[in-house]
Amino acid sequence: MSIMEYNGGSVVAMVGKGCVAIASDLRLGNQALGISSNFQKIFPITDHIYLGLPGLATDVTTLKEQFRYRVNMYTIKEEREIEPEAFAHLVSSTLYERRFGPFFIEPVMAGLTKKPSGEYKPFIAASDLIGCLNFAKDFVVAGTASSKLFGVAEGLWEPGLEPEDLFETISQTLLNAVDRDAYSGWGAVVHVM
Amino acid sequence: MAAAATVYNPVGFDFSNQIRNNFLADRGIPLPKATSTGTTIVGCLFKDGIVLGADTRATEGEIVADKNCEKIHYITESIRCCGAGTAADTEFTTAMISSNMELHALSTGRKPRVVTAMTMLKQYLFRYQGHVGAALVLGGVDATGPHLFTIHPHGSTDKLPYVTMGSGSLAAMAVFEAQWKPSMTREEALDLVNAAISAGIFNDLGSGSNVDACVITATKTDMLRNFVKPNERVTKERTYGFRRGTTAFTKEEIRNLVVHEEIIGVRDDAMDVDGS
Amino acid sequence: MNSLVQRFDTNNALSEIKRTSAIIEEDGDNVSDLMWGSYGGFGNLATGIPKFNIPAVPDPSAFLRLHTDDHTDPSCRIKIQHGTTTLAFRFKGGVIVAVDSRATAGSYIASGTVKKVIEINPYLLGTMAGGAADCQYWETYLGIQCRLHELRNKERISVAAASKYLSNLVYSYKGMGLSMGTMICGWDKTGPQVYYVDSDGTRLKGDLFSVGSGSTFAYGVLDQGHHWDLSDEDAQELGRRSIYAAGHRDAFSGNTINLYHVKEDGWKFIGNYDVSKMHYEGPGDIPGAPGHGYGYSIRTAGKSSADPPTS
Repeated sequence: MSIMEYNGGSVVAMVGKGCVAIASDLRLGNQALGISSNFQKIFPITDHIYLGLPGLATDVTTLKEQFRYRVNMYTIKEEREIEPEAFAHLVSSTLYERRFGPFFIEPVMAGLTKKPSGEYKPFIAASDLIGCLNFAKDFVVAGTASSKLFGVAEGLWEPGLEPEDLFETISQTLLNAVDRDAYSGWGAVVHVM
Repeated sequence: MAAAATVYNPVGFDFSNQIRNNFLADRGIPLPKATSTGTTIVGCLFKDGIVLGADTRATEGEIVADKNCEKIHYITESIRCCGAGTAADTEFTTAMISSNMELHALSTGRKPRVVTAMTMLKQYLFRYQGHVGAALVLGGVDATGPHLFTIHPHGSTDKLPYVTMGSGSLAAMAVFEAQWKPSMTREEALDLVNAAISAGIFNDLGSGSNVDACVITATKTDMLRNFVKPNERVTKERTYGFRRGTTAFTKEEIRNLVVHEEIIGVRDDAMDVDGS
Repeated sequence: MNSLVQRFDTNNALSEIKRTSAIIEEDGDNVSDLMWGSYGGFGNLATGIPKFNIPAVPDPSAFLRLHTDDHTDPSCRIKIQHGTTTLAFRFKGGVIVAVDSRATAGSYIASGTVKKVIEINPYLLGTMAGGAADCQYWETYLGIQCRLHELRNKERISVAAASKYLSNLVYSYKGMGLSMGTMICGWDKTGPQVYYVDSDGTRLKGDLFSVGSGSTFAYGVLDQGHHWDLSDEDAQELGRRSIYAAGHRDAFSGNTINLYHVKEDGWKFIGNYDVSKMHYEGPGDIPGAPGHGYGYSIRTAGKSSADPPTS
C-alpha cells in the first residue's frame, strides 16, 4: 500500500475557453474504511486561484495552513495579490525544501491570470510531491485515481470549452474515474472560474 | 519555532519530516514515485560552438506525466544545461547554479566560464552523494572557447566533443558514434542532434514527444523549443460533448467577484457631485 | 438410441458411478483418507476429486504467495480478488442471502457486476469471498456431487452434508493457496440451514454469518436488527440494509446488492439494488423499506450548525 492510498482522494483541473475548472472527490478514508464524505481538498488561495491537495490528510491540513501563511506574507510584502504563476513556484519551492523528507501531497492548481489587456487567461499546473512543476495546456490530474483520470480526461477533454460545457466535461471525467477507484469517491465538488 | 517568524526558512533542505517518513518506510509503505525524466539528452561540439538537444517527455512510473516539458535549462546567456533523472532535482539544481553564476558574474564583472558552472554543479552534487538525482549535460561558449561536459549524480564529470545522457543515451550515442565528425557546420550539427534525440524518442520508452535544441555560439544563443515535432497528435475527428445538464448536483453556489457598494448620503448635498 | 448415447457418454451419472465403484474395487489404495477419514458412508466418491498440477518446488504455497500476494507486493502479476461483503442469516421464514457485487484488484475496481451468489442447485446457495475462481469452481463442483448424491440416494443432500463435502475438499488442499470464505445455505429436512466454510478447513453451523472485508459493517446492522420471528419482508430489508452499510463504508465493497431468499420450496432471487440509489432514494415502495434513502443525510440535514436548515 502506498501512502497516497492511506486516506485516498483525487483532484483534476481543466482548461476551457477563458475559464478553468478544478474538481475533487470528498472522501476521507482510513485505508478501506470510509471516515468522512465531506473532506475538503480544494482551497481558495485568492479570488483567482484554487489549490487542490490530494494525498495524506495530515499533510493536506498542514500544507493548506502553510500556504495560507506564505500567501498572506507575500500579499503584505508585495502589496498585491499573488499571480497564479508565482503561486505555482511558491508551492514548488515549499515542497522542494523538503526534498529528503517530503509531504505526501501532489498539488493541483487552477487559476486565472490577468493580462495587461484586462482579460483573464486560464492557468493550470500540477506538481509531484517534491515540487516538480507541470504546466499543462489541457488538464492535470493527481491522487489515487490519477491513472484512471488520465485515461478518461484524455478521451473527454477538448479545446475551447465554454464554462457550462467545461463543468460537464470535468464532472463526468471525475465521476467516471472515481467510480473505478476504491479509495476515491463519496461525493464530489467542482469549482469553475 | 524561530523559522516560523520569517517568510524565508533557513537555507538548505528541511529534514523535519524524516522521522515520520522513515517510520512509514520501516512499516513497509513505499514512497510515492517522484516525476523523473526518463530522457534522452545530448550535446555536441561543432565548428562555431555547441548544440544541445533534449526530448520532452516526463514520466511517473509507467505514466507519461508531461508530454511537452522543458529539459534544457538556462544557466547564463551563453551556458545551458540539459537535465535527466529526478525532474525536481534537475530543475532546482540548475536554477540555483544559474543564480550563483549570475552573482558570480556580477561580483567578478566578467562573463562566467563553463568550467565554473561545471565545478559548482559537481561540488554540489558530490556533497549530496548521489541523493540529488541530477544527471546533466552542460554546454556553453566562454572566453576560452566552446565546452561540453557531462555531470553524473555523484559528481563525476567528463569533457568530450559529443555526449549523451539519460535512458535514451545508448540510442543517441549510437547515432553520434556513427555520424559525428570534427568541424561540422551549424546545420550538420543540428541535424545530427535531431537524429540522436529522435533515436531516443523512437527507441527508448522513457523518452518521447518532441525535440528541443539549443545552439550556442560565441555571439548568439538560439533556444529552439520544439525544434521538431514528430509526434503531433491529430485533432480528434469526433468528440464527447456532454449535453448541458448531464451532471446532477445537490448544491450550487455562485461567488460574485464584483463588489457592489451603495453610497448613502449623510448630508443633503452628499449626492451633489457636479462640484457647483 | 438412448442406450447408444449412454454407452459412449462418459459424463452421465451411470458411468460416473460405474467408474468410481471400479476404482474402489480395483484400486482401493487410491482412496484418500484425508477426504473422509474412513470409507464408511461416502467412500465411493473419494477419488472423484480432480487432481491439479502443483508447481515442482519444495513449498508450493510459498511459491504461489510470491506471485499473488498483493498486500506485500503491489507489483505482483497475479491479483486475487479480496474485497467483498457477503451475509446470510436464518430466521423462521427461511434463509436470507445478500452480497455486494464489487471486484477489486488493488485499488482498481475491476468489476461492479460480479455474481457472488453461486446457485449450486434449486435448494442450495453458496456465497463467494476470497478467490473468485476458487469459489466458482469448487462450488460448481459441489453442485455436481450434490446431484450425484441425489441420484444415488434418491433424496436431496442435507446442507450439513454438502457443506462438509466442501470443507473436506478444501482441507485436502490446505496450505496450497486456495482462498475462499463461503456460506452454504439451503433448506433441508431439518429446516433452514446456514454453514460457514473457509479454505482453512473451518466449518461452522450458525444462525447468522457475514464474510469479507465489509463484514464488520454488515454485522453492525445485522446484529441489531436480527431475530428469529422476522417477517419475510423485514428479513429481506435487513439483508439489503446490511449490505448497503458495508457497501457504503468499505472501499472494497459496493456497487450493487444481490438478494436471495431460501424457502422450503427452494431459493428465490429477490432483486438487484444499486448501492448509490439505496443511499439517496432507498429501495422504493416495497414492504419493509423505510420509504426514503438509507443515507444518513436524511437524518442529519438541517440539524446542525455545520449543516444548517435551508428554510
